[in-house]
Amino acid sequence: MLDDDEPVSLADLRPEDSLVFLLFWGLSVVVFLQFFTRYVLNDSLAWTEEIARYLLIAVTFAGAVIGVRKRDHIAVELLARYLPRRANRIVDLAIDAASAATFFFFALLTARLALRTKQMMVSIDVPKSVVYWLVCLAFVAMGCLALRWFWRRLRNRTADAPSRSAVG
Amino acid sequence: MLITLLFVLLFGMIILGVPVALALAGSSLVFILLSERIPDVVVVHRMINGVDSFPLLAVPFFILAGNLMNTAGITNRIFDFAKACIGWMRGGLGHVNVGASVIFAGMSGAAVADAGGLGTIEIKAMRDAGYDPAFSVGVTAASSTIGPIVPPSLPMVIYGVMASASIGQLFAAGFIPGLLMAVSLMLMVAWYAHRRRYPRDAAFELRRLGRTFVKAFLSLMTPVIIVGGILFGIFTPTEAAIAASAYALFLGAVVYRTLTWRRLLRVSFDTIETTAVVLFIVAGASIFAWILTSSRVTEHFAAILLGISENPIVILLLMNLLLLVVGFFMETIAAITILVPVLLPIILKVGIDPVHFGVIMVLNLMIGLLTPPVGMVLYVLSRVSGVPFERCVSATLPFLIPLVAVLLLVTFLPQLSLWLPTLIYR
Repeated sequence: MLDDDEPVSLADLRPEDSLVFLLFWGLSVVVFLQFFTRYVLNDSLAWTEEIARYLLIAVTFAGAVIGVRKRDHIAVELLARYLPRRANRIVDLAIDAASAATFFFFALLTARLALRTKQMMVSIDVPKSVVYWLVCLAFVAMGCLALRWFWRRLRNRTADAPSRSAVG
Repeated sequence: MLITLLFVLLFGMIILGVPVALALAGSSLVFILLSERIPDVVVVHRMINGVDSFPLLAVPFFILAGNLMNTAGITNRIFDFAKACIGWMRGGLGHVNVGASVIFAGMSGAAVADAGGLGTIEIKAMRDAGYDPAFSVGVTAASSTIGPIVPPSLPMVIYGVMASASIGQLFAAGFIPGLLMAVSLMLMVAWYAHRRRYPRDAAFELRRLGRTFVKAFLSLMTPVIIVGGILFGIFTPTEAAIAASAYALFLGAVVYRTLTWRRLLRVSFDTIETTAVVLFIVAGASIFAWILTSSRVTEHFAAILLGISENPIVILLLMNLLLLVVGFFMETIAAITILVPVLLPIILKVGIDPVHFGVIMVLNLMIGLLTPPVGMVLYVLSRVSGVPFERCVSATLPFLIPLVAVLLLVTFLPQLSLWLPTLIYR
């Protein structure tokens, strides 16, 4: 919620976020084109549907990277309310380490999937594996960021991590 | 058995505080690695495929439209308009709270977002007028659950994708139940207002109503575009989302001039983050649901439940019970993605309409947002209002009575949900 006089903070953004920004507005333009050509020109552009789906995949996984960095992914803070501080720290450390390992493993699996995929996209002449490579890159980034949380926590540099937001 | 391990892992991780999306994908990964008959690449393949869906495109654009509305100062205008309409009643601001939520529900599809955006304004206004904070939180929490019942609705989009049901029909089906929720909550407010002698806001004045209506007119067109467009079959849900975003962009940039470049950047990233958080859960749940279906867990579960009874009324009661309990512990989107593949075969078997069931499911899970331990709306409102979480819980409790009453009505009178969609779609 932003009020008229409230300054807009962009402090949480990083230069590398411009990639997902471009993907998102690319998606918006493609979907708008689809909408416009169907309604106004009565003849929807064939490639828009397929490309829009791929861009949605890209935005989801690239956006999830920001979610890991900002600890925005929805989690249940049930146990954390009742555990003592020290125990909480150990649980959080374990979660960060396990998350990092899982993300890196997913990156590996996605890379194998990409190498196996020889098809081209249906509507344009681009290999479908491009989408998978992007997801792979996103998993690598998530792994690195989870590892960074682990490292920071180990050195006790996290003044209570920001609380997770929620949707639904 | 491996399946037991899958569930123990999932719930164990969730309780420990692992993000829901990762808990779903992670427990599935362990299952697949141990099972030794499914190639491990399936995990990421299913995750990616889970998001590879055209109807899901409605998700980012409904989120974008809602965020743009909030920046454009539209929320305030709608609140003022609702105040001029019904503020003169006893306990006026309580009624305004419900009324504004209904209007806002016509442009936003997420309860928690409604609570955070509109809720902030509502709670502040009620506090300034001398209402006790706990009552304000209770009304705000309860009325925010109308958001995903009245179209548009993110949970309904996810349900539609998982159940292969028409999202347009689901949206139409939520319209009347959403209004029923509003009426029932207003009755509750009226009862409180009468007993506690709550104040009235400024007396009714046609000129004030006219003035606030003119000020809010262009904003009020947003729900008209979305709800009207969908109800009259002009737009598909995705198109309605795009149209609403374009319109909100136009309002903010050209008409109200509240949308600066900085704000557009902020809105873009808020939208990206929310979209990613929602769809990442969908991705994680896709592989989990795939395991449940392919290892025939859903069949066994159906056999057990249908063994108890094949009477639709009994089945619906059991479903309500199950969904309420799940709603206590589980986040909405994750609950829908996991439960639809499990419950849908049973529903179809006893002849319940999947669109009707969609409304029932989302309504149950909305009630879950208002109950501890995982009441997301309560966490947000506790933060916004400064009222301690435990107080928020007890203040919201009485408002569950009207909501559960509506739930029972909607469950046992299918026409409440199905009348509109059958009228519109053929």
